[in-house]
Amino acid sequence: MNLHYLGAELFHRPRRSLAAILSMMLGVALLLSLQAYSNGYRLAARAPLAEIGADIAAQRQGKVPQAFEGILFPHSTAPIHSDEIDAMRRIPGVEDVGESVFFWDFEKSGFVVVLGLDPSSKTGPARLKSAVLQGRFLETSDHDVAVADATFARSNDLSPGSKVSIAGSPFEVVGLVDTSRIGQVANANMYIMVDDARALAHAAKNVLAVHDFRPTDANIVFIKANQAKVESVAKAVGSVLGSQALVSSSQTFSDVIGQAYGLVDRFSWLVGLAGLLIAVVGLVRSISSALRERRRDIGLMRAVGWSRGNVSTQLTSEAVSLAAAGSLAGLVLAVLVSRALSLMRVSIPVPWELSPTPHFLPGGATPMAVSISLVARIDLLPAALAVGLSVLCGLVVGLWISRRATHIRPAEVLRSE
Amino acid sequence: MGRSGSGKTTLLHLISALEAPTSGSLFFEGEEISALNEDRLALWRRQHIGLVFQAFHLIPTLSAVENVAFPLYPMKLPPEERRERARARLEQLGLGHRLEHRPSRLSGGEQQRVAIARALINRPTLILADEPTGNLDKKNGEEILALFNKLNEEEGVAMIVVTHDSEVAAVAKQSFTMVDGMLEEGSK
Repeated sequence: MNLHYLGAELFHRPRRSLAAILSMMLGVALLLSLQAYSNGYRLAARAPLAEIGADIAAQRQGKVPQAFEGILFPHSTAPIHSDEIDAMRRIPGVEDVGESVFFWDFEKSGFVVVLGLDPSSKTGPARLKSAVLQGRFLETSDHDVAVADATFARSNDLSPGSKVSIAGSPFEVVGLVDTSRIGQVANANMYIMVDDARALAHAAKNVLAVHDFRPTDANIVFIKANQAKVESVAKAVGSVLGSQALVSSSQTFSDVIGQAYGLVDRFSWLVGLAGLLIAVVGLVRSISSALRERRRDIGLMRAVGWSRGNVSTQLTSEAVSLAAAGSLAGLVLAVLVSRALSLMRVSIPVPWELSPTPHFLPGGATPMAVSISLVARIDLLPAALAVGLSVLCGLVVGLWISRRATHIRPAEVLRSE
Repeated sequence: MGRSGSGKTTLLHLISALEAPTSGSLFFEGEEISALNEDRLALWRRQHIGLVFQAFHLIPTLSAVENVAFPLYPMKLPPEERRERARARLEQLGLGHRLEHRPSRLSGGEQQRVAIARALINRPTLILADEPTGNLDKKNGEEILALFNKLNEEEGVAMIVVTHDSEVAAVAKQSFTMVDGMLEEGSK
């Protein structure tokens, strides 16, 4: 292969080179952009749970409360017993489990949504500790203290040091947090220690009237799982909880995002590869047309002493170079497209079972959504695959075309032209 | 020499082994060339034959010096050596000032001189020229023929030139006429 001749052919036949490069560029850009778009939505679907450091939220449907007084469990948060939580911990792929007790407290003075959490847990709403605006967060030795959501605190005139009553028990507000930092999943008005929440729920007559809630139980379990096993873990968690299981994972959010994403996610590789195939057809057309133009040059190569191998290597190198240049240009275009896609915001509806507000209260029936930026990035593996596949296509096309070229009879082309 | 269609170009292609004879054999310096395979023939041409065509057949994307070096491209030679040899040939043929010009920027006479330099680049034993003055005006044609004579006398390169032009044939030391594919002994 002569690099100088290769460069001269590519540079001095700009229309042909550009047509081939453009064709491969569009094919690769389409493939990678669709992958980036699909990945962006996949990441977006993970975001609502990822914001609280979990991959799965496990709940169980139970009975509807009989009376709306004192502490109640929403019917989507029936008790999950400690032996069931232990069974979840043992599922292969589970990395961490965070237990919470979620309840509504209907008092004469007003309604409050309360979440009991373990502040030492890395999975679940304990991540709110990074969202403290005033005062401090809950600590493992705490008892009868609460952290209030900043918006709730503002409307109820609460600040660190204020006293509040939850189910008739006094709690001291020790800090204010910005709940919006953990999105719309598992947020509440007041956050207390999980053991305090368990004790309150275990003593609540309207909870015990419809549920078998024991002092070591929880009613929302957040699970961090091995990324490759999230869906199998979710399925196993569903089996542990039985027919009334409500297991939310990124798939749950994907399902509610809509059909458009489903189509992109399902067919992105197929459409991308079809685009690449069309690009390869463009490359074949471009190189075939060049071959027709260069029949005389190829005849001359053979006439002045180039072997078939020399001719084949030269022409194949040209095809591979065009494919490589096109795929690299496509990679750059795909990066630009992914940057543009990243300017989009995606609204992800939150399933009803993860909504903290009772639907019968004002605003409670309004569908909730998490709005996040689409992180459409080009991953290394698809990029390397696309470039590698393009170069391979260039190689195959080059070998095929050069095979045809070496059968050109120099005496014919040098005579007739 | 011979009239159009008499078989002159076919004869030249047979001698250069660009075409295989339908019958008979081709020998060069005692070796049966017609028995060699395509790649051995290409190598043989590279070592022994220089070809000059009526239509010059220069590569349009390469400069004059690159066109001259073109037969050397498949050889394992340093690029500087290839270029130096090509430059020297072009300067010898009076084209030292046109090294970097591509064929489209050269006159017909200059293009044919580049083609002759290309034919000479491997120091061939034999140059085969097919109507080398056919696309040139009278002055340029005469210059090319004078160049052939000079190369023959100074470098001892044998030349077979086919033409239908009797003025060109008159310059040759020996001429033959082709009629209907048969070679007849000429006037010299």
